[in-house]
Amino acid sequence: MIAAIGLVVGIVAGLFLEPTVPLWLQPYLPIAVVAALDAVFGGLRALLDGIFDDKVFVVSFVANVLVAALIVYLGDQLGVGSQLSTGVVVVLGIRIFSNAAAIRRHLFSA
Amino acid sequence: MPGRAQYDATARPDASMSLLTHLTDNALDAGYAEAAARRQPGQPSRPGWLLAAGLIAVGVLLTTAAAQVRDRAPATAQARAQLSREIEARTAATDALQARVEQLRAAVTRARSDALGLTSTGTRLSAQLAILEAVTGAGAVTGPGLVVRLDDAAKAKQPAAGDARAQATQDQGRVTDRDLQTIVNEVWAAGAEAVSVDGQRLTALSAIRSAGEAILVDFRPLSPPYDIVAIGNAQRMQTGLAEGLGGSYLEVLHGYGITSSIQTRKQVTLPAASGLPVRYASVPGTTGRAP
Repeated sequence: MIAAIGLVVGIVAGLFLEPTVPLWLQPYLPIAVVAALDAVFGGLRALLDGIFDDKVFVVSFVANVLVAALIVYLGDQLGVGSQLSTGVVVVLGIRIFSNAAAIRRHLFSA
Repeated sequence: MPGRAQYDATARPDASMSLLTHLTDNALDAGYAEAAARRQPGQPSRPGWLLAAGLIAVGVLLTTAAAQVRDRAPATAQARAQLSREIEARTAATDALQARVEQLRAAVTRARSDALGLTSTGTRLSAQLAILEAVTGAGAVTGPGLVVRLDDAAKAKQPAAGDARAQATQDQGRVTDRDLQTIVNEVWAAGAEAVSVDGQRLTALSAIRSAGEAILVDFRPLSPPYDIVAIGNAQRMQTGLAEGLGGSYLEVLHGYGITSSIQTRKQVTLPAASGLPVRYASVPGTTGRAP
């Protein structure tokens, strides 16, 4: 219950406060979103598997976002930013996809 | 090597895709399984504060990203609209100035002919000046003539599609500066005495060129359809144009979907050129600059 309220509060806060993203942070926002989605889908699957743990979820969410942003930042400094972004998106995309497939199997048993 | 052969026999068929297999098999963070294993059956579950905080972060991140994407699209559209507004305003200002120039020039011409008409030498000079103005394009001229109208192909007028290949065929149906140059040259060759393109009088200093997708004549952007108006013997110009290179060129353009029409007119009027700036050239023997 508290969790659902938290999500709603987060969405509402994002909508109404409209935090302006500083310019230097903007390139990392899309990759951070993909990383966050990966954590969210992982958490959902764990929930359906019955092994959900809030600490693991929060830590994996924060770590995913930070590491993804860090990889892109490092890539930008080395001049391979777009390639590294592609790599991160591919890896996280595959994970999101297979987690979504597991969730689907749970929900529809198909 | 028997060991190697044995290894090959037991190798998984998808061994070459081990990275993908690893990714799909271990999609779920291993931390969940470990945490589940650590948990004691009788342990009381923690209150959901941590989870709630995490989900707040998730919600803020997602909505911020969505707002970012939404804000960015109108920003480009706005900039575009503002630029086009600015272009229109500047063009209108230029047109107004141009009209003012025409007015003043007409006043100057009137005053000059009045002044020159006082003496017989002046009258002769005035007549000579009128001819020179007509030939150079410094003065408006009227007479029988010919109108050649070129227009983009119908498919080129549709808003640009994103597809690069569609774009290419679209560009082929567009009248280019090269086309206008060729037709104008053919009109001159057919005996035209004065030529204008979309109301821009051509002089010895005129240039027909393109910038981006627009055709510029004397730095004025034109939009289709393009009217090439020429003064001269209309019948002779028409046959000259049809029989010469111009006719076959128009036919080639027709193959790309560009439409063209040639009409004779009893009376057409061409405006004076917008300016004949001669800054460096001067007539030999005179000390002053040419006017």
